[in-house]
Amino acid sequence: MSRSRPGAVRARIESLLRRFAGISGIDRVLIAFAALGLSVLVGFFIVLGSGRVAECSTAAWTMPITGLGFCYDPFEVFFVLFNGALGGPFYVWEPGILNPEWLPITLPWLGFMPGWSPFNNAFALTMSETTLLVFTGLSVAVAFRAGLFNIGTQGQLVVGALLTALVVVALAPLFPANRVGGVILIAIGVLAGAVGGGLWGAIPGALKAYADANEVITTIMLNFIAANVAYVLVLEVFRAEGSSVVATADVPEYAQIGPWLFPPTGDFAEAALLIGLVSLVGLYLFLEHTSLGYDLRVSGIQPLAAEYSGVNAKLTTVRAMTLSGALGGIGGSIWVLMSEGRWVESIPDLGFDGITVSILAGNNPLGVLPAAALFGVLKGGALQVGFQTDVPPELVGVLRGLIILFVAMPEFFRLIGKRLVPDEPEATRGGDGKDGDGVGGTAAVDDGGEASA
Amino acid sequence: MRNPLSAVEIPVVDRFLGDGYVRNVVVMTFGSLALLALFGALFPESVAGDLSGAVFTGGMVAATARISAPIVLAALGGIFAEKSGVINIGLEGLLIISAFTSIYVAYVLGDAGILTGGNAQFVGFFAGVLASVLLAFVFGVVCIEYKADQIIAGLAVWLIALGLAPFLSTVFFGSVNTPGVGNIGWQYSAALVAVGTVVAWWTLDHTAFGTHLKAAGENPRALDTVGVSVSKIRHAGVILSGVFAGAGGSLLALGVGRFGGSGETMVQGKGFIAIVVYLFGNYNPLGALGAGTLFASLDALQTRLQQLGYGIPSSLVETIPYVVVIIVLAFVGRTRIPSAAGDHYETEE
Amino acid sequence: MNPAVHLDGITKRFPGVVANDDVDLAVERGSVHALLGENGAGKTTLMNVLYGLYRPTEGRVVIDGEPRSFDSPRDAINAGVGMIHQHFMLVEPMRIWENVVLGNEPTEWYGLRVDEDAAREAVRELSARYGFDVDPDARVEDVSVGVQQRVEILKALYRGADILILDEPTAVLTPQEVEDLYDVFEELTDQGKTIIFISHKLSEATHAADEITVLRNGKNVGTVDTDDVTSEQLAEMMVGREVLMERSAATEPPGDVVLDVEGLVAEDDRGVEVVSGVSAQVREGEVFGIAGVDGNGQSQLIESITGLRTPTAGTVSFHGEDLDDVSRRERIDRGMAYIPEDRQARGLVMEYDLTQNAVLGSQHDDEFTDGPRLDWDRAASHAESVIKQYDVRPPDRDATAESFSGGNQQKFIVGREFERDPDLVVATHPTRGVDIGSTEFIHDRLTELRSEGKAVLLVSSKLDEVQALSDRLAVMHDGEFTGVVDPTTVTEEQLGLLMAGETLDDDTVDHVGVGDDGRPTETAADEEVSA
Repeated sequence: MSRSRPGAVRARIESLLRRFAGISGIDRVLIAFAALGLSVLVGFFIVLGSGRVAECSTAAWTMPITGLGFCYDPFEVFFVLFNGALGGPFYVWEPGILNPEWLPITLPWLGFMPGWSPFNNAFALTMSETTLLVFTGLSVAVAFRAGLFNIGTQGQLVVGALLTALVVVALAPLFPANRVGGVILIAIGVLAGAVGGGLWGAIPGALKAYADANEVITTIMLNFIAANVAYVLVLEVFRAEGSSVVATADVPEYAQIGPWLFPPTGDFAEAALLIGLVSLVGLYLFLEHTSLGYDLRVSGIQPLAAEYSGVNAKLTTVRAMTLSGALGGIGGSIWVLMSEGRWVESIPDLGFDGITVSILAGNNPLGVLPAAALFGVLKGGALQVGFQTDVPPELVGVLRGLIILFVAMPEFFRLIGKRLVPDEPEATRGGDGKDGDGVGGTAAVDDGGEASA
Repeated sequence: MRNPLSAVEIPVVDRFLGDGYVRNVVVMTFGSLALLALFGALFPESVAGDLSGAVFTGGMVAATARISAPIVLAALGGIFAEKSGVINIGLEGLLIISAFTSIYVAYVLGDAGILTGGNAQFVGFFAGVLASVLLAFVFGVVCIEYKADQIIAGLAVWLIALGLAPFLSTVFFGSVNTPGVGNIGWQYSAALVAVGTVVAWWTLDHTAFGTHLKAAGENPRALDTVGVSVSKIRHAGVILSGVFAGAGGSLLALGVGRFGGSGETMVQGKGFIAIVVYLFGNYNPLGALGAGTLFASLDALQTRLQQLGYGIPSSLVETIPYVVVIIVLAFVGRTRIPSAAGDHYETEE
Repeated sequence: MNPAVHLDGITKRFPGVVANDDVDLAVERGSVHALLGENGAGKTTLMNVLYGLYRPTEGRVVIDGEPRSFDSPRDAINAGVGMIHQHFMLVEPMRIWENVVLGNEPTEWYGLRVDEDAAREAVRELSARYGFDVDPDARVEDVSVGVQQRVEILKALYRGADILILDEPTAVLTPQEVEDLYDVFEELTDQGKTIIFISHKLSEATHAADEITVLRNGKNVGTVDTDDVTSEQLAEMMVGREVLMERSAATEPPGDVVLDVEGLVAEDDRGVEVVSGVSAQVREGEVFGIAGVDGNGQSQLIESITGLRTPTAGTVSFHGEDLDDVSRRERIDRGMAYIPEDRQARGLVMEYDLTQNAVLGSQHDDEFTDGPRLDWDRAASHAESVIKQYDVRPPDRDATAESFSGGNQQKFIVGREFERDPDLVVATHPTRGVDIGSTEFIHDRLTELRSEGKAVLLVSSKLDEVQALSDRLAVMHDGEFTGVVDPTTVTEEQLGLLMAGETLDDDTVDHVGVGDDGRPTETAADEEVSA
């Protein structure tokens, strides 16, 4: 008995580990990190390469041993990117960090800048972007889980934003110009955004369900249409008097979502992030712990099984797209009420970034927050890269693309993993599994979802 | 769908367009242009007269050819990729990267005095194609060897190019927009569109490679079991999409003479329109030519109408093709996507 | 003389499975050889080794006395081996000639053009030589399954195959087409070709083959001459013990009509009418069986009943109520359990664990919900009980459905559906791919359900199964019931005729309907029964 115990314990641990490794969530987090790391690595070489060909009077970085001079300091870029996104809590050395000349001596100096506070404008920008991406990320994620590729979050956001701005401006005179009136107007505005985005999302949903029109194409088209129609509407009808750009009138100050701790110039409000987090948890509970959520997930992962289990496929498609559009629309509301205070023609690509956020998050609502935060940092940091270094901040766009590319190829990391850990028992899949759905292999990015936990 | 056009018989054209759907697209495109010409000639004072006056000018033909080059060529590339079973949604990215590279190379050659004018542009064109092929190759490896989700990888290709081109432009020229290198005539665009369409049509319909390509997208196992490597054929399909889209992107940029990298860059969604165009043309190169020309002429027309002083906001006119796409997709035709498009294929063992 | 094919000690291992275990096989030139065995016995794997799709873990392949090593099917083809897979490897939207020459297209103009005329001519010539009747210019998707099979054979012959492997060639054919296929075999062997075909049906092997090799659990149990062996001996070799299908007759007379199908017409996904006016009644305490060759409209009939397909005409009534506008979900709620034909596409969500699969179909049922919330604890205990009762192995409700073997997946579905406490059980191929022990268990449970007064509609392509379990047996052919017979008295020959679309003279078989008292009566099958 006693002799076999260590063996039994070992077997238990092994099976536990195997189970652990089998959990797709863990896999996904690892892959996300690996993708991030690899993107930074590739980005490093891009900076290095372009730093070699760019022209400058003095080298920003000299490669050890070779003595080659580079116009850009790749270490500095990434440092500034992350440091800048937080508003510069860490020292930046001249001419660049990790410069061999000072490395051994100055390392102990690493520490917070005196006078740095988390409630600064740069960090506010990062948080503001994060907040908005939470909504668009959730929007894309919920559609994905239903097996639908909603590339139209951008359009849904544009429509939601426009409706929010128009409704709030129009109704403002009906409510008292104080905090209570403001809160009511904000609620109405967010609702208007949800309705606008929801309806705009329902269109491709209905086209998919009842006319079998591919949602990837229709949503792309609807993005263009939303942008153009909204632009023309504002240009011709709703343009604020005397405005130099194409924009609606300003939402009254008291009906904007203002910050509690951050500076008012930072365009970030904690309350908005809170709304985002509530949506996030709500969506998670909806997907994993309700019957309708189950319907939606099964439709996404195996449409035939959903049909067998009595799910109305058409209705579920429309529902999922409407919900997705509503979340995108709320994103638009928040953008109007928190960031801009009005609808302006230059709407950022929050919807497209939502796709990247959702993919990085493995389409799991819980993963959306860290993924959105990462892209928030990239956004906030890009601005600082532009200010503090010579490296074009467009680099961040490249990084974004690389991250998605690497996240899209889990097989690559699995192969590397297998090479690193050759003894790992090979996970065998039962039979040659049916590739049940025809949604362009989206099963590969769908989370199985652990519910019994 | 009962389309009155399908009753019309056109002897020579029908030999090339066996598919009823495709001939509808082609006939609709050229038929509506002909109708417009007729009305314009009969009632020169009416709006139709104005319109036909606007359409049938040298400027319009040139503008249509220029705009159609990236759209039609990228669509032809898309056909090759998707017929082989790889959905290439990254055509937009291929257009962007080739547009930038062609201008960059032409500029550098000219600046260094190695080659001038037309020769520099000529080399720039091929450099653009090469850049596009490289990016397409990476996309192919990621999708075919590493089994990436094709849609996501395609988006990544777009995003990478969308970031990389303005980034490099800023690195080299200090601005997301490049300096000018002088533009090439629209005749090049028109010629390449025509040649590209014919080559694509011949390759798909009359060569063994074309048959293999279609088989790889419809039933890869059928191809595999007769001893043709599915992954090789798919790689070829993806690389060809890079060649065609690269030619389109280079022509787009060289036609203007510079690369514009702000916002969505000068490509402005033409790669996505290209996807719509080939779906519209039911994967038939001639159908893609018809649909692409239609879109391009609409685009050119709205620019022309602006010049003529019609008070329609340009954004609204720009919207027309998108609305048309949705209506057609939903209510008129159904295209048949290759059965195995989007699926990974693994040979046994 | 050397045998045309000699497989020498072939072993093929997959991670965790030994598919072939030291198999020897020799086939003479110009003969027909049957490879017989149950599903999962390793027949297809062995043939895939011969065809170069798999590389053997051990052993060697000898063709015409020459040892060969095939890295790919192309090598096998070059050595004169051709394979016709169970699922045809044809590109449906392409023409027959394109499919035949695929990968070996004759070209002209320095390879820039496929020589279509030469290809067409080659196909026509081959087709004529072996007495096939195919039109080279027809599209594959437009021709019948029998013709598609010939296209596959032409493909192999075009590549110069001398040895033809056919994987379950009769599975999709009508009896008439099967006869034609046997003629084709004869024509081919007369001209010196060697044929190996895979089958799990005894009658086919004894009918068409000169020699039979039986595989069981990946091992060669024995090779016998067709003339020297009886069906019983072969059956024993296949399953390893004597098979006894015991009939258990209903003890109670059937009760009220639960399911009433009237003049049902349905189309398949391509819009072709495949069910043409079927009528049937299933009563409480009765098993109504439907036999027939796969693909004669059974699937569409069942889907129309269970609510997965909208019939184009006719009615389906459940407990006397018309189900015309009743959704699939409502049908489940009213007590219709359904074991679907395709368990991996429909019956289970492959990436979900068994707990999540336990509520598939009852995700809105009060049993598992509190308002909008799904109670996963209750789902888990339900999964647990199904696993225990139906002996699902391994008994792990947190494992994903795809990690279970086909048989265990099936047991879980059967358990889940039976435990719904339904009024009607629609079971399609309930024991397909299930091992013998579990098959018996599922049969017992079906019989129990009947004694509990449930109505059972059973579809199976296994004749012995439907015959043993059914109280009344309908035979379906080309979208119609060719007869409804008493399974206790009908002979195998008669069933064969019915499956081939023939009707029987009234005095050769007892047609059964159900009388007013619910007892089976001997009336003509297609006669309307007034309830």
